[in-house]
Amino acid sequence: MSEPRPTEDTRRLPVLDLDKTPGGPPPLLDRGSGRFWSPRRVPAGVVALLLLAGAGVLLYDVVAVRAHRPAMHWRRALARQLAERPLDDVWVLAGAGVAAALGLWLIVLAVTPGLRALLPMRRPHPDVRAGLRREAAALVLRDRALEVSGVREARVRMRRRRARVRALAHFRDLDEVRADLDTVLTDAVRGLGLSRPPALSVDVRRPGRKG
Amino acid sequence: MRTGRVNRVLLCLVGLLLLAVGGSVLAVGLGAPAPRRWLHSGPHDVLLSAAERTRWRDAGWWWPAVIAGLAVLVLLALWWLAAILRRRRPAEILVDTGDGEGALLRGPALEAALAEDAARQQGVADAEVLLTGRRTRPAVRAGLRLEPAADPAAALSEFTALPLTRARESAGLASLPAEVRLRAVRHRAERVS
Repeated sequence: MSEPRPTEDTRRLPVLDLDKTPGGPPPLLDRGSGRFWSPRRVPAGVVALLLLAGAGVLLYDVVAVRAHRPAMHWRRALARQLAERPLDDVWVLAGAGVAAALGLWLIVLAVTPGLRALLPMRRPHPDVRAGLRREAAALVLRDRALEVSGVREARVRMRRRRARVRALAHFRDLDEVRADLDTVLTDAVRGLGLSRPPALSVDVRRPGRKG
Repeated sequence: MRTGRVNRVLLCLVGLLLLAVGGSVLAVGLGAPAPRRWLHSGPHDVLLSAAERTRWRDAGWWWPAVIAGLAVLVLLALWWLAAILRRRRPAEILVDTGDGEGALLRGPALEAALAEDAARQQGVADAEVLLTGRRTRPAVRAGLRLEPAADPAAALSEFTALPLTRARESAGLASLPAEVRLRAVRHRAERVS
């Protein structure tokens, strides 16, 4: 980090000599990295904290009452509310609905992998898993699209299964530009090294008169 | 991954509990017929009557049981929080020097060396590396930021073939499992004409 740059260059050469693949590193394997699973740290932390707070305060109050101190106000109020409100009360229904929805959401969080923005790549080595951020994939495709002559502007919408490229071409025949874009982008998608390459859809237009 | 599994199991349990209680109150409250011996007999029943709440209050086991249950819940929550906050990272790894002795390699040293090596690679703007796993079987989690012109697949295979292999060999490890995440340096569109 604090090391001066020049020494780094001098160190690099002998290592490259040792490299046995003069044509560059080996290509990626056919094996995918598998989906990345989020550890769900944030929701778990929130639930654990709420659980700790709720159980802790209740425990404190129960023990305090056992030690002949008066119960806290909220506990008496809660007991009264629980004993007075019927089930078809609006607040009870709303609370139950919120609890059920929250429960459903927690279950969804628990069983889905998450990390949708990280696209699994093909493994370079059986021990190595890799993922590419979706925005990074979109940026690569955009940069490659802009290399096609005639393309003035390109927007890429990257989904997990599909990449949609919209380009504005201000000269050349649109069909030619589209054919070039297809070739370049198919190659670029291969260069992303994803284990499930997204389907490509290319859309080329002339810039609008207004802009 | 281990805390991930714990988190998911506990989240699922809490979710099921909330869904069961909320769903049952909602169903009975909206007029669904309640089964016999259910918690709530009908839409005009209350959530928890005074009689239900104090049913076992005079039994000798009730308060110790309540206190023990709450204490277990508090301890479980504490343990869970600790598991979430603690990162499993080996401070050092064991290097087999081949002469019957062993050497300790400090984790941050390997992390810094690998990150610097990776950042020197063409097409990689910078890299961060974390050591995970155990000290006899370490693993690596790396994040690479790619420069605009870089090709992700090429950058990944170069990273695996050179910096990662060098790190594995210099630490004398038979295998060094890695998880690599690639992102890109934000940049504006540049028309080359």
